[in-house]
Amino acid sequence: MSESAQPEAADAARRSVRLPRPGHLPLPFIGGALILGLSVFVAAFPGLFAPYDPLAFDYNAVLQGPSAAHPFGTDNFGRDVLSRVIHAYTIDMQIAIFATIFPFVFGTAVGALVGYAGGIAETIFGRVVDAVITFPFLVLVIAIVSVLGPGLGNMYIAVGLVGWVFYARITAAEVRVQKRLDYADAGRAMGYTHARIIFRHLLPNAITPAIVYWMTDMALAILLGSSLGYLGLGAQPPAAEWGVQIAEAKNFMSTAWWMGVFPGLAIVVTGLGFSLLGDGLAELLRTRR
Amino acid sequence: MSLLRVRDLTATFGAGASRLTAVNRVSFDVAQGEVLGLVGESGSGKSVTLRALLRLLPVGGAVSGRVEWEGRDLVTAGDRELRAVRGRQISMIFQEPMTSLNPVLPVRVQIEENLRAHTGLRGRARTARAKELLDLVGIPDAGRRLDEFPHQFSGGMRQRVMIAIALASEPRLLLADEPTTALDVTIQDQILKLILDLKDQLGMSVVLVTHDLGVVAETCDRMAVMYAGRIVETGSVTDVFARPAHAYTAGLMASVPRASAARSVLHSIEGTPPQLDRVPPGCAFHPRCRFATDICRRDVPALEPRVGERLSACHHADAVAAEGSPV
Repeated sequence: MSESAQPEAADAARRSVRLPRPGHLPLPFIGGALILGLSVFVAAFPGLFAPYDPLAFDYNAVLQGPSAAHPFGTDNFGRDVLSRVIHAYTIDMQIAIFATIFPFVFGTAVGALVGYAGGIAETIFGRVVDAVITFPFLVLVIAIVSVLGPGLGNMYIAVGLVGWVFYARITAAEVRVQKRLDYADAGRAMGYTHARIIFRHLLPNAITPAIVYWMTDMALAILLGSSLGYLGLGAQPPAAEWGVQIAEAKNFMSTAWWMGVFPGLAIVVTGLGFSLLGDGLAELLRTRR
Repeated sequence: MSLLRVRDLTATFGAGASRLTAVNRVSFDVAQGEVLGLVGESGSGKSVTLRALLRLLPVGGAVSGRVEWEGRDLVTAGDRELRAVRGRQISMIFQEPMTSLNPVLPVRVQIEENLRAHTGLRGRARTARAKELLDLVGIPDAGRRLDEFPHQFSGGMRQRVMIAIALASEPRLLLADEPTTALDVTIQDQILKLILDLKDQLGMSVVLVTHDLGVVAETCDRMAVMYAGRIVETGSVTDVFARPAHAYTAGLMASVPRASAARSVLHSIEGTPPQLDRVPPGCAFHPRCRFATDICRRDVPALEPRVGERLSACHHADAVAAEGSPV
């Protein structure tokens, strides 16, 4: 092999090892990635897709059924439901990410530390987790939001306060298994610091379940955001958010079904996207071992 | 002048009434450039001894005694001080090459990691050294294989990678915990040869833990035989093989299968090694020993020169030695 060809060959080898070719990706992964890729794009540029202003009232077109001019119909203020569903992507995708990113990062870090330390730290941690889990999740979040006051920011805080324990518990269990394997001992025998062993060696081997759970959790976060929006504790009207829309639609259920059904479908499709991506990732990360 | 001096090393697990002593007041020296074999059955405490040297015991393990290394005592050394010795001056390789490497990192990262932790090499120089190390341990096409993951290597190749990582910082002592047990016989031979070659090239000493007397005969300068957490006999490999001075050593050697002309019944030592929580009083080996007398049931024999220079912990060392080697 000539000198110049060597780095290329090494690069090619690395690529072929790291990522399977698209044809070998699990089907759920492709499906989920497509749905979510599209969702993120819509969330980033809702103006490209929405035919109307989501907040503009039109009293000449109140509670109209689906038509060519308004494919998803209009609501009680004459706002275009399709435009509102599209603009809601921006808020709901934000909820999916902001409500879960802190629990994911903080929870896995705490879980890794606790799982590695073991002993008293783990016992105390176990009791804290039990205490949090004893409360029904939604009730706890609602209680915290009612103390802090309604709104998206406070909702993120409330979810963050509660949500991290699930990640921490999953990661701690996995790290507890990994730290008994020889490579962890080998790391200690090499004189590496605890931090290096935990975050460089154990965590990458232990994080898969937490990542898969994260995907499901994002779907749950959207549901939670919508639930809180519905209860008036999350996004506030007149903002376009799926839960808010469904809450507004409940008074017109018998006369204008389209007001609630289309935001509901958007929730289902996005949730499906996250679930598929989670399944696909689980499969992908498992086969890589 | 010995490189490593171990005195009364003791390793215990648990506390109170359920406390188990896995290694009981073990003492030995390792000289510069020497290969010491620690031999014994499963559960004799040989691996725990090796790990106790670097205080690498599992949770609940406690070490006492002295491990003198370069003028300090590793048993009482602080965490930072100990980390500077681990991997830098004393490296360790493990029995299971299949699990001793991190499965999600390419081997390049794992070799360079040790170089980063313990040498001043940076950037290209570090990568070049990593490749050099893979070459050194005899992995063909090292440049390409650097970027592969552990699962793309065979067992023998993984053990070579493990050795490359352990030697990255040019340690002065290599602790090898049954490095060839998980490998098949031809590969076993290659790995042992490799360790000996590298020992000569780098001028290190080696402590080799094994249950395989053949491996000891082939590779070690001196050997220490362990039984129920104690060293029962130690001496040069030639001497011990020629004339074992402990009934247990003699029994071990008699149990090695031989490729002789006539078929014969394979000798074995009657009974099993004692559980750690019920080690017999006196000499721990006496229930299985055909030389045993009353004194063996009463007094723990000290490890002292009994036959010539050789240290043995057997009340009947002379009688055993008089029988000569069963090999």
